[in-house]
Amino acid sequence: MAPGLTASHSDGQPVRLAGLGKDYGSFTALKALDLTVEEGSSLGFLGPNGAGKSTTIKIMTNLIRPSRGHATLFGIDVAREATRALAQVGAVIETPEFYGYLSPLETLAYAGRLRGMAKKDIESRSETVLKEVKLQTWADHRIQEFSKGMKQRLAIAQALLHEPDLLILDEPTSGLDPRGMAEVRDVIKALTGQGRTVFMSSHLLPEVQEICDEVALLDHGKLLIHGSVRDLSRGTGIVTFQATFLRPVTDEELASVGRLPRVQGAKRADDAAVDVRIAGGDEAQAEVLEGMMRLGLRVSSFRPLGSPLEQLYLDRIQESDRL
Amino acid sequence: MTASPLSQALTVTAYEIRKYLRGRRLIGMLILLALIVGLLVGLPPALGIPYATDPNVFVSTFAGFSGLLVVLGAVLFAADALVSEHEKRTGYFLFPNPVRREVIVVGKLAASLLTSAVVVSLYYVAAAIAALVVTGATTWDIGLSYLYALAYLAAVVGVAFLLSSIFKSTVAATVLTFFLFTLIFNIVSAVLSLANIDPWFLPTSASGIIGNVLSPSPFGGGGPGGPFFTFVPDVTTSLLVFAAYFVAGSILAILLFRRRELSS
Repeated sequence: MAPGLTASHSDGQPVRLAGLGKDYGSFTALKALDLTVEEGSSLGFLGPNGAGKSTTIKIMTNLIRPSRGHATLFGIDVAREATRALAQVGAVIETPEFYGYLSPLETLAYAGRLRGMAKKDIESRSETVLKEVKLQTWADHRIQEFSKGMKQRLAIAQALLHEPDLLILDEPTSGLDPRGMAEVRDVIKALTGQGRTVFMSSHLLPEVQEICDEVALLDHGKLLIHGSVRDLSRGTGIVTFQATFLRPVTDEELASVGRLPRVQGAKRADDAAVDVRIAGGDEAQAEVLEGMMRLGLRVSSFRPLGSPLEQLYLDRIQESDRL
Repeated sequence: MTASPLSQALTVTAYEIRKYLRGRRLIGMLILLALIVGLLVGLPPALGIPYATDPNVFVSTFAGFSGLLVVLGAVLFAADALVSEHEKRTGYFLFPNPVRREVIVVGKLAASLLTSAVVVSLYYVAAAIAALVVTGATTWDIGLSYLYALAYLAAVVGVAFLLSSIFKSTVAATVLTFFLFTLIFNIVSAVLSLANIDPWFLPTSASGIIGNVLSPSPFGGGGPGGPFFTFVPDVTTSLLVFAAYFVAGSILAILLFRRRELSS
């Protein structure tokens, strides 16, 4: 537990989602999600648009009510005792709008006062968090002048203001330029290094790989995978490579590639390119490359299509879409 | 570490008032107020009409416009108070804080009442000063009219909050609040009067006590259905009607706001 963090009755699991579901009329946004996050860990909540990520986060932050199941933070059911459950939570939900007539300093003071922080703590923490998100020179400007990216930075600042034990972040780098994204990732990584728990949704896999130590994949309101980034990054042992040739490939040649040892499947990408699924590591890849050359195909490039985790992600999403 | 509900409500009130102070609405309202006062004081001598010599009669002209001022106050400082958190997405900042929705409503309600009350108070202060200058006297009845106007204000703000908790658009909540009190209730009142039903339960009918305390005039003008009687309930009934609209409007607003989900 990080210094200053409060003891809780969460049995080392600040986030516990049990059978969590949400229906909008006949549409089910979230089926029955069971998920726990260990104290001090950072979980990347992945999934395509409409997977149910934001719905889950909105239930966790008391913006919407679950149709079934429970979301408990620090052992407290959010639907029953939201104020207690959210006391040690900092949240960024989508890109929030702020009151345009206030400055960042005033906005942070508003949030700090609602949370019962002392005036001097609000002042010192505001200075710190605005510096962290690189908004210190805008501290006294009215927010109505701010861009989306600046508002996103402010959203992160207000989430960090009270040094929460748990950060719930919904697409925290959305709306930021590449430099801003890198800066926000550094801030989040620093927090995880301090032992705080992070629950972060994203559709950017590299971002999750960089920041998080656990990943949960959601699609169509259903949990598909949950495990450590390290384990899942090893993948399933099957990788997809794209081979590009110097001339167009005939259907016969494509079928021959598909029959090569170690090849699980071959699919035309375009006239002169084929996506090949290969079972095995470097040895298998070399063997397939040699096999193609034996077939008389002159390979101009041979590159993996994404990381093993990315391929696992895409496989599971495609599988989920087929069902 | 969480603030008490009272402290949170006061914080919400303070920031809402800051919104009104920094926005154009309060300035606009004060300009309108100055315009009404200026016309009521400046127009009679310009047209060669003598001022009333009785302070009650003099101020009754002001009181005749106080109802409109109250409705405008509620429209500008209450009708969008709740719905804007959803429509403008500021709820994504406010609601994940450990603060109960009812506390937010109470804080905003206090801010709306205070801000609108300041406008009405300034109006009555201006009326009383004008009465003192023109007639050389003021009366307790002016004070009573002021208190009745504040009671009416509470009723209108309560209803405005209820509409604000129901509608999804600030425009809809604002427009309906305005037309409810300037048109719809008056039409209902006129129709009921034609059917010989006393519309004692309508806040606009009850608001007649604001002017009646200064210069009782129970008869209204002619309308499409012919001359009609403008019914004004007695003071006790009127105040109870105001209280009922305020309490029912506020409680329903709290209940609906608590149930309302923030999803875009």
